[in-house]
Amino acid sequence: MSYLRQIWGVMLLSLRAAIRAKMVIFLILAQVLCALVLPRVIKGDGTAAGELEILLTYALGLSFGIQALATLWSSCSLFASEISSFRIQLAVVKPVHFPIFWLGRWLALLLLNGVLLLFVYTIVYFQLRWVEQNQGWEPGIVPSALHVSPPILPTAKAEARQIYSMMQSKGELPEGLSEAEVLATLEEQAAERYDIINPGNEVVLNFQLARAVRKGENITLRFRFDTEYSTRAHVKGLCRLELQGQPTLFAEHQLESVTQNEIRLEFAADPFVAGATAGNSLRDFVVILKHTGADDKASALLLRFRQDVVLMIPGKTFESNLLRCALVQGSVLALLAAFGLTLSAVFSFPVAAFAATVVLALIMIGGGVLPLVSKEDEKKWENRMGVAVLRAMQSTTRHISEAKPLRSVVRGELIAQRNILISVFWNMGVLPLALAILACAALRRRELANV
Amino acid sequence: MDTEVIIETKALRKTFRDFWHRPTVEAVKGLNLTVKRGEVFGLLGPNGSGKSTTIKMLLGLLHPTSGEIRMFGSAPSATAMKERIGYLPEVSYLHRFLTPRETLMYYASLFGMPKSEAAQRSRELITMVGLTQAANRPVGGFSKGMARRVGLAQALINAPELLILDEPTSGLDPIGCREVKDMVRMLAANGVSVLMTSHLLADVEDICDRVAVLAQGELRAEGRIAELLRQPEAVRYLVAGLSEEQSAALRRSIESQVGRPVQQDYPAMSLEAFFLQVIARDGEEQKFEMAPFLR
Repeated sequence: MSYLRQIWGVMLLSLRAAIRAKMVIFLILAQVLCALVLPRVIKGDGTAAGELEILLTYALGLSFGIQALATLWSSCSLFASEISSFRIQLAVVKPVHFPIFWLGRWLALLLLNGVLLLFVYTIVYFQLRWVEQNQGWEPGIVPSALHVSPPILPTAKAEARQIYSMMQSKGELPEGLSEAEVLATLEEQAAERYDIINPGNEVVLNFQLARAVRKGENITLRFRFDTEYSTRAHVKGLCRLELQGQPTLFAEHQLESVTQNEIRLEFAADPFVAGATAGNSLRDFVVILKHTGADDKASALLLRFRQDVVLMIPGKTFESNLLRCALVQGSVLALLAAFGLTLSAVFSFPVAAFAATVVLALIMIGGGVLPLVSKEDEKKWENRMGVAVLRAMQSTTRHISEAKPLRSVVRGELIAQRNILISVFWNMGVLPLALAILACAALRRRELANV
Repeated sequence: MDTEVIIETKALRKTFRDFWHRPTVEAVKGLNLTVKRGEVFGLLGPNGSGKSTTIKMLLGLLHPTSGEIRMFGSAPSATAMKERIGYLPEVSYLHRFLTPRETLMYYASLFGMPKSEAAQRSRELITMVGLTQAANRPVGGFSKGMARRVGLAQALINAPELLILDEPTSGLDPIGCREVKDMVRMLAANGVSVLMTSHLLADVEDICDRVAVLAQGELRAEGRIAELLRQPEAVRYLVAGLSEEQSAALRRSIESQVGRPVQQDYPAMSLEAFFLQVIARDGEEQKFEMAPFLR
């Protein structure tokens, strides 16, 4: 009880500081500008879907960016300014453990961020509904959230191990690389690996839906083909959806499209529900994609099974997905706040803010840079340190944006509960805890008085 | 006075170092001190003598280079021990955007005090330090003296057993100084130990039981004020109601007995006492009253 009062006291102080220093007011103004003015300024492609994308991706994305930077920089000042102004002296001579100071401030930032996020989301949501009504959008433009099921495949790790064994048995292992290095490369490649479907061939993919399909629902198959040189090519084929265990119960669509187009095929669930034998879970389906080819010169189709093909069924409402998106973004803000707070416990404000910005930039560009670094370049001594730092950052922060929330909302894909839990677990649990321990150790070591 | 030792330092040493870890200043050199329960102990010394550094080491704000500190028998970093301490720094480092009431509520919350008790204590302390009219104004707009009063109030919010005051009367007007001194004496009478530093020697003389004089980080003198200031080679008699003739006769008589000239003067009141007397005549005297929870 006593600890709770202490935490509440620290929290209240931080909230008062934020409100009375007018920081919150400036943030609210910036958010209103992002949410209301930005969508009016950016020109869309004239379609309702384009307008929807501007409203969701640009308005919410930019307001999140502003909030993220504001959170990072303001958290960088919280301990640092108290230490540099010596105000911390009066607080640390009271019977309060350092983790309470850290936690109180972090919770205050969490609360402020939560309120601001909800504020922006509310503005964007009502704006969206207003535009939808005013411009007479067709139903379905504002997408409801569909459960997304990827095909059942071995994990990238298992696949890498499998290929490694195969290469080993054939004596095709590359020279000069360790087993771990080969496995890491194979694992990286597995996620991005294209499978080839030659004309006349077919692929069979197994899916397990998030739940059993119901009468009246549609099952949506979404996929995208590519060609060897990413050129546009004609796609002609046949797509069949079968209920697993009952190959006679199927539905088919003729494929007539071009590569790189996102193809969406709708299958009515009614025949499957009606025809399923007792005991069939109505969750397991088989998709057969047959490349019939436009003519003899038809090129092979490429398909990334791990990324470019999913089976979807109705999930939750658009509003529910938007809330999930807010939760994931909120968890990222919580991590940024924890990071800034910890830096502010170690460094002065300018150093903390600079370090935070540099680290954030490295994390953001690291994902794009690392795949471009060849194994040879990575081994050069002048690159080793940089690559190691980027890899460590990528590895530590790989869960931050695992859910890719805004993209999912725009594409009408339900942000999976598992992804939300992962985000919350890492961004609001494990990483902040580690950062808090680091901050408290630094505060304990530091001399907090002037001389 | 109790014999329980509240503060004890043994061979306490503090050397400040620069960025490259090279020693720059040896601020405290092997200090041995003890402060007992109910005692008002004064740390005296010129600027840079190590007074504030010593206090900050006692509070765990600075880490000693070597030596030992025991506060209530614990190390300065022990959190539980801090419940028994009140601290007023040399400058009242207050949050400018908070009102005195909010400031006191915040510091009360750090002691884990229930809201009702914290509110009650805050009210009483605000009345005690004479800030009732300004209780809901942000501290940022306060004069140095008013901010000092808020600082003093926050140091007392937990009814401490040990009060550490760094220049407590700095920035206060003579009435405020008198009130602080009265308060310190009252608290000491209730068993609270006080460790204070001050540049104003008259203040220290007024309220301290014992003093230690520091210079260049070393302890130069320590003891009870009466003993340190006593001049055994001279004697002073104080006789009230003598006429000029009686006084002259008495002086001649003593001179003839000791065979040396005798100095004669009239006792004068201190300027502070005179000022307070004048203020009292104008009917502006403010009667200092201790907050009920501190009595």
